[in-house]
Amino acid sequence: MDGKPLGTQDYSRLIVAVARHRDRAAFSALFDHFAPRIKAYLLRAGTDPALADELAQEALLAVWRKAETFDGARATAATWIFTIARNLRTDRFRKEWRDVPAGDDLPDTIDETAAPDETLSDAERGERIRQALRQLPPEQIKVIELSFFEDQPHAEIAQTLGIPLGTVKSRIRIAMAKLRDIVGDLS
Amino acid sequence: MRNRHHPSDETLAAYAAGTLDPGRRVVVASHLERCAACRGFVRGAESVAGVMLEDLAPAPMSSEALARTLARIDREPVSAAKAVAARLDEPDLPACLRPYDMGPWRWVGPGVHMRPVLVPETGKMRVFLLKGAPGIRLPQHSHEGAELTSILAGSYHHEGGDFLAGDFEEADDNVEHRPVVGQDMACLCLVALEGQLKLSGFIGALLNPFVRL
Repeated sequence: MDGKPLGTQDYSRLIVAVARHRDRAAFSALFDHFAPRIKAYLLRAGTDPALADELAQEALLAVWRKAETFDGARATAATWIFTIARNLRTDRFRKEWRDVPAGDDLPDTIDETAAPDETLSDAERGERIRQALRQLPPEQIKVIELSFFEDQPHAEIAQTLGIPLGTVKSRIRIAMAKLRDIVGDLS
Repeated sequence: MRNRHHPSDETLAAYAAGTLDPGRRVVVASHLERCAACRGFVRGAESVAGVMLEDLAPAPMSSEALARTLARIDREPVSAAKAVAARLDEPDLPACLRPYDMGPWRWVGPGVHMRPVLVPETGKMRVFLLKGAPGIRLPQHSHEGAELTSILAGSYHHEGGDFLAGDFEEADDNVEHRPVVGQDMACLCLVALEGQLKLSGFIGALLNPFVRL
């Protein structure tokens, strides 16, 4: 790839190219874009840098292995890859106990009956979420981010943000209601 | 049929984010298997998390990372699909329990049995199946922390309402309730419990030494 920025739509296509043609160039482009972001996600979750690097490679290997199961009509490339990274993160401990394929205990959260609006493209869905997030006050985005990425108990979030525990709880409540609005607008 | 009691939005968002401990996660997963509404919310939260992932400032990978991953791809067998042996020895248990070993059923009181689910790395959470005979009043209990309950079969009710198969109950500490199992059939629940279960009352005092899950 020549370093030109790709739209999200193209990342879906790259995954499909990996699935259909075992396309190594497409895979490399996916790696260049997503591996550093997965590493950043894992670092924010408190993973040490060497392990984060290793797990990000592991996540992209899972993208290669599972590419056939990707359905661009139901999830964006970023969402699908996020769930892979998330499952790796949560399965990391269990893997030390027993070799169970990543994510195997998670139910299929892709719903058969309620497919998302098919007329909404991958990129459009992402853009809609971005717009909704932009309308939230920064402190609410911060709370959603902390709860998504950093696994902090309320008391620690209070300390990080320097606000009382009660305020954290009410902000989380409000942020979750906003999240529900955003999610509702997607379907 | 629509479920009436669901996990809180925060719990569902934490599930989507992957920040729930394995004990809570498996109990929430058992609810998601039966609840389309909660699956929809989790899927939406995953989309939001996907956007946030895209927008994170990238952390540079080690220099050999791509080359090493491509080398591993070359060693991949053509089909890597690996079936997990089913471990479930009783029917109708949720699929999310498949990866875990379970202990034996234990008698913990008149009409009440528990069976530990061996979920590693759950910290202070214990996960177990709880079965109550029809009409039985479960021993009055309180707990030291959160208690998540997913009702798999049958029903129970207490001061907080009626809980039917497919429902989910999330209780924090200081809650002291005494559920009564529905008359028509036994009630089977999957429970994640933080800390020790404390049984109160006369029977509870007798049983407490034995309830070590």
